[in-house]
Amino acid sequence: MTLGLPGHLARDSLSRALAHGGHCAAWVCLGIAVFIGVMGATEEADPAGWTTAALSTLLAGILVLVARFPTVTLTLIYLVAGTGAVLALTVIVMDPAYGLRSTDNVMLALPRIALILVGGAGSGSLIAITWGALGYGLGEAATFLGAALAGGVWTPNVAAAAALGMLVLARGSEGLSRRTDARRETGLHRASQQTRELAIRHDYELRATARLHDTALSHLVAIAAAGSGPVDERLRLGIREDLSLIVGRDWAIDHAQADAEAGLLPQPSRPGGPARAADDTAPPTLEAASTAAVNLGLEVRMSGDLAVLGVLGPGRAAALDAAVAQCLVNIARHAGVREAEVAIGFSDGEVTVAVMDSGVGFDEGDVPEDRIGLRTSIRARIEQEDGTVRLWSTKGIGTTVVMAVPEGGE
Amino acid sequence: MSRMPLTQQEADPLGGISATPLVAIGAALAFGASIVLTIVHWDEVGRPLAAFIAIGLVGAAGVVAAISVAPSRAPFTSERLWLIVALAVAAAIAEYISTIGANTSIYDDFGSIVVGTLILSVAPYCTWVSLLLAGVISAAVLSLLVVGSASAIAVDAPVASLIALNSAAVLALAAAAAGYSAAVVDETLAWQREANRAALQRDAELRAGIARSVQQSRVSVLGREVLPFLAGVMTADRISVADADRARELAETLRHALKAGIESTWLDELAADLQSTRGIPVVIDDPTGAAEDLNDDQRSALTALLVWLGDAGRSARIHVALHGEPDRRGVSIVAEHGSSPPARRELDRFTAVARAVAMGAEATLTEENVKVELRHVPE
Repeated sequence: MTLGLPGHLARDSLSRALAHGGHCAAWVCLGIAVFIGVMGATEEADPAGWTTAALSTLLAGILVLVARFPTVTLTLIYLVAGTGAVLALTVIVMDPAYGLRSTDNVMLALPRIALILVGGAGSGSLIAITWGALGYGLGEAATFLGAALAGGVWTPNVAAAAALGMLVLARGSEGLSRRTDARRETGLHRASQQTRELAIRHDYELRATARLHDTALSHLVAIAAAGSGPVDERLRLGIREDLSLIVGRDWAIDHAQADAEAGLLPQPSRPGGPARAADDTAPPTLEAASTAAVNLGLEVRMSGDLAVLGVLGPGRAAALDAAVAQCLVNIARHAGVREAEVAIGFSDGEVTVAVMDSGVGFDEGDVPEDRIGLRTSIRARIEQEDGTVRLWSTKGIGTTVVMAVPEGGE
Repeated sequence: MSRMPLTQQEADPLGGISATPLVAIGAALAFGASIVLTIVHWDEVGRPLAAFIAIGLVGAAGVVAAISVAPSRAPFTSERLWLIVALAVAAAIAEYISTIGANTSIYDDFGSIVVGTLILSVAPYCTWVSLLLAGVISAAVLSLLVVGSASAIAVDAPVASLIALNSAAVLALAAAAAGYSAAVVDETLAWQREANRAALQRDAELRAGIARSVQQSRVSVLGREVLPFLAGVMTADRISVADADRARELAETLRHALKAGIESTWLDELAADLQSTRGIPVVIDDPTGAAEDLNDDQRSALTALLVWLGDAGRSARIHVALHGEPDRRGVSIVAEHGSSPPARRELDRFTAVARAVAMGAEATLTEENVKVELRHVPE
């Protein structure tokens, strides 16, 4: 389970929710206008009631389309149709027969408020306020014209102005609260991922300890019980099998070789495994990636043992290092987060490095052709070393790049 | 699909906290509207005392709303919504009494507006169903008042039309509140489903990566201890007395390591992580392994709090004690102040999040430290 919304999605989500709330209020206003029109037409035998009901229904219908497809065209159609409807309704309502003193009345407030609550195309507070203000202005102009045509008194509609005020307040405060950046500060989304990772890590640590316990303990006990004397061949064979089970055959052989070279132990006569490519030098590190992280201001969490890079040739290690650095550059430039994780491991003759972020994510197909970072600096570089690059990215969730290169190389 | 609707505060606790100032603004607007509209229709007021009581009740409803959404009182319960609505409807009734028999226009009555505004203000804290219900019930009560004053209204219109017009404000505002609440919860849950799906996919990769890194780390740790010893014996001709003693010693160490591993939890991993990355001593006192009893959301909330406390010099040392006893299950966190201790307001964010995941939370900020008590709350 993941709590809440991440900061980069909260803006659009809240904007859509506010627009939906506005649409619901607009539909209620228009629904009441339809009801009053029908009541007037049926109870009072007023034919203008049908016109009122029809215009309000039409407006409500267009608003359904705007809510479903919030495009600029539909928004403009709604505003134009709404302006026409307000004009027609003002001419009807301001008929002296109804006895209304001015255009500041509840009947005209209903379509006016529906016009303000258009929501409209695009997301963000400023755009929404602009559409609302446009709805208010057009409605007021239509009312003014309608009052002039019907010979009524024009007064700004207080309810419509109040509705615009509430819209500005809701949208404005939504924009302001985002600036406080509470979501990023709290790091809830990151904590959720970290918790999962910790649970998995703990599980594996425990399994690894248990496995070692199960395999090594019996040998230790046997050695302790045997006391001084020649090594029993069955014990020797058992230890060899178990060592290769725990850490892989290579380790046991390498260890014996290293010790033999140091003159400590006799060298075993077993087929040799792949020796460390950089045995005689200091094991390589992810120097370029570390420098990139520092320069980019990224906080990188590293897990795994950097020493496994020692099984790679210097050229291959450098290629991997450069690819990881490019991944970090991509995160800093495009992911919208300042943290990344790098996990290093070695298995089945391959060094694997996973670079993960919790940023905005992307669709690889959407990356423009001229952006060479992923294609050249990462994929091509790793593939030149007979390695593979796998990428998982989900918009709004984050990106994981897993690079694997075989041991050895130049 | 039938399940209990959620509130924004439950689905997105931080969104609920961000909305807190808006409630105070909404309450102030409702109070201001009641004063202004009372002045506007003062010539209709026959009972000034009732008019003042009406304004007072609006103020009281606003104060209740503003106080009850404070992060320190999270989560907002439905009883609080009904108290606010009841006070606002009582204000509308008092307003009706103040103008009884002389109310020529419903357009300048504030009852419907203040009830609607207050319902809209608390939208982030209520389910869409309760918001809609509050709007419909309030509208029904206000309709009775319109029927009572229909004879005095200057405009000649059917009573049903007057009822509809009078209810417009409360119904529209309640619909806005319900629409917002439903949409924001839907958006949040949709994202959470997507995030959880992605997390599962990512977990598989993570498992592979972690399995390798753990294996490597075990090899490097044990490379200094057990494995070189066994490899030495494997390639040696004889076992010495010293070898036998060393084997006994290592066997004991290994047993202890397994015991410690079994007794440790994810929280110990977090503490070790914080200690290595932030350089802050984090002591976990969890003799019964109670950390395993926390659900995913509770773990996330606790992790977020500890990571935040351990970051940016907020704490010099953190002590976390877990109590597994049935009568006092919970977590006590004491963080000694670092170079830039946290502020109360910042801390409230985390306690509000903890409350949203079924944990009682109390934070105390003293000159020396921050104490946070989290208690399990039976759901």
